Amino acid sequence: MSVKERSSIPTDREVILGILNGSEIILNKLYVGYFPMILQFILNNNGSEEDAKDVYQEGIIVLYDKVRSDDFELSSKLKTYLYSICRRIWLKKLNQTQKKNYYIADFEEVLEIENDIELWEEKEKQFLQMKSALKSLGEPCKTIIEDFYIHNLSMQDICEKFGYTNSDNAKTQKYKCLQRLKKLFFKV
Amino acid sequence: MDQKNSISAIIDDYLNGSLNPAELAAFEELRKNDPAIDHQVVAQKVFLETLKYYAEHERLMEQMNSIHDELDVYTLSTPFKPHPSKIVRLWRNYKSAITVAASFLILATAVLFSIRSQSKQEGSLKLLDRKVSQLNQSQNHIIRVMNNDVKLANSKPAQFGGTGFAISSNGFILTNYHVVKGADSLYIQNTKGVAFKVERYYTDPINDIAILKVIDPNFPNLKSLPYSIKKGGAALGEAVYTLGYPKDDIVLGNGYVSSKSGINGDSLAYQVAIPVNPGNSGGPLLDYKGNIVGVINGKEDKVDGAAFAVKSKYILEAIQAIPGDSLEKKVAVGKKSTLMGLKRQQQVEKIQDYIFMIKVYN
Repeated sequence: MSVKERSSIPTDREVILGILNGSEIILNKLYVGYFPMILQFILNNNGSEEDAKDVYQEGIIVLYDKVRSDDFELSSKLKTYLYSICRRIWLKKLNQTQKKNYYIADFEEVLEIENDIELWEEKEKQFLQMKSALKSLGEPCKTIIEDFYIHNLSMQDICEKFGYTNSDNAKTQKYKCLQRLKKLFFKV
Repeated sequence: MDQKNSISAIIDDYLNGSLNPAELAAFEELRKNDPAIDHQVVAQKVFLETLKYYAEHERLMEQMNSIHDELDVYTLSTPFKPHPSKIVRLWRNYKSAITVAASFLILATAVLFSIRSQSKQEGSLKLLDRKVSQLNQSQNHIIRVMNNDVKLANSKPAQFGGTGFAISSNGFILTNYHVVKGADSLYIQNTKGVAFKVERYYTDPINDIAILKVIDPNFPNLKSLPYSIKKGGAALGEAVYTLGYPKDDIVLGNGYVSSKSGINGDSLAYQVAIPVNPGNSGGPLLDYKGNIVGVINGKEDKVDGAAFAVKSKYILEAIQAIPGDSLEKKVAVGKKSTLMGLKRQQQVEKIQDYIFMIKVYN
């Protein structure tokens, strides 16, 4: 991939289609294309490069959720939406750590995105709940679940990786792990 | 345990859509009849959706992290980073605040310069300050000290006097606040030498205006007031006159408006070139059409013929502070006065019955 290609920002249409198809190339272009905008915003508003990375990644996840939701409707440029989301997330983080009413220096137009942010907060809560459930699940269950659900490994692969005698055993094991995870998830 | 697990397995299959039609129908019947199973189905659904969301979230994160690792964040961030120079950093962070501050400074400088150019005409600022204190002094002077030939020193309370004029036919008299300030009892006296007891009805220390009300039942109601109050300002150089009681008889003073502002640029007052003496305080300042343009309230000690008068605008404000129905046949505002076109001696003759001496006892 040449430098020129990497720096070119895909059109909104390409991005939306890419998100729906789960295209990694589009994710790459999207990520590289808009990161400097958020980096500038965060660095100029009391943040570090690490903060920029975290906020930007959260923002992209919100964008993915939005595009993949049933009632998706884009009423602005993707750039503006992404900026507004990241701005809001950063403002929230600032308010958690610093004194309130922090003055934000803006670099782009800002959208009203409270609904999306509320949805994101709800999902984020569940995400953290799942994360802590997985953490207390212990090995090998954690890896089995992650391999199966996140890395999309087949039962056969898991079977070989963990040395189960056949894939039925692995399946039973995975099933038990899932039940335990479910219990932990609802307990938290 | 086995049964529990098998139900979970069925719920899984149900949610995955892998039940055959007969099983599906049977399970839906079961779900409808057993709330506990329905609850399990919902919980399982939420759980699987969250797991799916979590998985997508994690997958995206992993992808993004690998993309991020390829980025040269350092090079990207250099132009946005806090500049090593403190000034540039300050400028970037507080651009708008600095802009506002700068424009304020420019404005302030402009105002300062205009003030300086004004003060040049009158000498130094200090000088003006002194003049203010002189004014206060002169304002005390302009209240006539009566009976000061009776040298009983402090055994009897001193009596002061000023001037006031009627603003309605039923005994509302306007004068200066400093005339009646601290008074124990107040009387007005007309040109015939008859005195009536009054009380303070309204005071405005800032504009140096007080309104008195006659409480003496013997007070004869006045006829319609001959003068009116001017709504607008007086013009520079406009000929004006005043009537007052610097002595026991009414005295006419004649002059012109010499400045549209009072001492120290005080915009509440006019400067009037008119001979006034202690006792003139509270007297009306009239133009030659019979309109009241101000109330005499002080003079400058060191400059001959420089007196000050509260602008008629503030008289109006004071009058408006009084409930309209308590004023009978109140003074006209902004109308043609009945004195218009009359010669001065005729005007004075008509007005003098509405001008009173204020006697202050304390």
